[in-house]
Amino acid sequence: MDRSDRTDAFLQACGNKLSDVIRKRKRLYFVVRDEDLREIVRYLFLDMGCRLSTATATEVYDAIEVLYQFSHDPSGCYFCPRVRMTDKENPVMHSITPVVPGAEWIEREMFDFWGVTFRDHPRPERLLAKDHPNHLDKPLRFGRVS
Amino acid sequence: MKLSENANQIPVGPFHPLLEEAEYFNLTVEGETVVDIDMDIGWMHRGHEFISEQKTFTQSIFLVERICGICSTSHPLACVHAVEDVDNLEIPERAAYIRTLIGELERIHSHLLWLGLAGHFIGYDTLWMWAWKYREPVLQMFEVISGNRNHYGMMRVGGVARDVDPDRVKALDNILDTVDSKVHMIVKAAMDDPVLKSRLVGVGVLSREDAVAMCAVGPTSRASGVPWDVRKDEPGDAYGMVDFDVIVQNGGGVWDKLVVRLLEILESTRICRQCLEKLKTVKGPILNDVKEISAGEGIGRYEAPRGEVFHYVRTDGSNRAIRHKVRAPSYVNIPTFSASCKGIPIADALITLAAVDPCYCCTERALRVKGEDAGTIDFLTLSREKTERIRREIHG
Repeated sequence: MDRSDRTDAFLQACGNKLSDVIRKRKRLYFVVRDEDLREIVRYLFLDMGCRLSTATATEVYDAIEVLYQFSHDPSGCYFCPRVRMTDKENPVMHSITPVVPGAEWIEREMFDFWGVTFRDHPRPERLLAKDHPNHLDKPLRFGRVS
Repeated sequence: MKLSENANQIPVGPFHPLLEEAEYFNLTVEGETVVDIDMDIGWMHRGHEFISEQKTFTQSIFLVERICGICSTSHPLACVHAVEDVDNLEIPERAAYIRTLIGELERIHSHLLWLGLAGHFIGYDTLWMWAWKYREPVLQMFEVISGNRNHYGMMRVGGVARDVDPDRVKALDNILDTVDSKVHMIVKAAMDDPVLKSRLVGVGVLSREDAVAMCAVGPTSRASGVPWDVRKDEPGDAYGMVDFDVIVQNGGGVWDKLVVRLLEILESTRICRQCLEKLKTVKGPILNDVKEISAGEGIGRYEAPRGEVFHYVRTDGSNRAIRHKVRAPSYVNIPTFSASCKGIPIADALITLAAVDPCYCCTERALRVKGEDAGTIDFLTLSREKTERIRREIHG
């Protein structure tokens, strides 16, 4: 199955749960609802054999976004589910760590820096700013959008 | 975790000669056996992602080049790949060969650095001296190419900054001859050594299942039978135009990681040779004129010596990223200790922690813990004593 077929197969299997799909050469970015995230991740990680490269939290004007970057290594293609949380002061979403153990540190880092609370995370605590000398009262990167 | 009556805790770090970046490991041991390990990072957060978002794309390349002092071209390469990915930019063929040549030379010197330190940790100081001695000509090659032994400043969006003229290609060819013969000698000596093999086989095993679950990368995952290699999976630069093999072992232990790195050194010399040959014949520009980067998202990655370096940029059409995410390979390889360190003797803890090559500090500052008998426990001594015992058993 070539790269295009792999993307088509994914869209066929999960397309009804995706929105705002951006399709580029070797890259597929799409928005999913929080309640559908784990099902999509299960399909990517367990059924397709994708590897989680990392995840990226970004503060945009009206939301906090979390973008997971899954690499399908045999084809060199990336599948990137995006979850948008409009409650910027209290962003909450499901953790994917119960499905992908390798997501533990990056989800803790996003909690650290953007204040995203991950439901069902096995170890919901700070990662990088655990012993920060400034005794942080808010996430380090939150509130940077002017 | 509640400790059993017989358990003790041994802290390693946050500042330890194993770790160039400060990290903290808390080993729980029962007698001689490690039963649990806890990790704590974040001792040296430098804010590279945030600073990069204040810089132009070209300035960011210089910034990310300073994330790692050993493999200092991996981050710039992944960074320019990410920016180029936003607009699917291509680079000139000659620039592709120069990028690949630098990347592979870096793999050789980084693996030789690890090999030397691994030898030192288990009491093989001859291996250490050899590996570091023959790493020197590789650094000289960088000097010929870029003028610097480290932090080369060669990568640009759309190509490379400087060309390698024919005289320098010839000089590089001569130095590569030396490197080639010496690394073949070292690789053969290391792989044929019965003491080294007895000391490292079956030590600190990471199973294939754990490597996949924890999303490990690079030699750490390839030593566990997972054939992921960005150079083959998404062959950017000249990797699609050169011939090389991905080295995979199935044991998952420290010996397998050693074999993967040793054989990768030989593959890298093959790639360098092909790149130098092509640089003699492929002419043309080395840098495309990139006027602007559109608004969008880009993913860039590169197979660094330690595994996949990942960069993500999100742009708004201006000359800088509004979000720049960086993920180094050690970030995903270090959590594998929770699987590979459990159940091993404490004498093997040092080499198991070192086996993922989590960047070393050049100053020897091994942790010493006071024992009840007022003696000391030293990981380095324990590790070297075990090698000596095996050496005596084999050689009498």
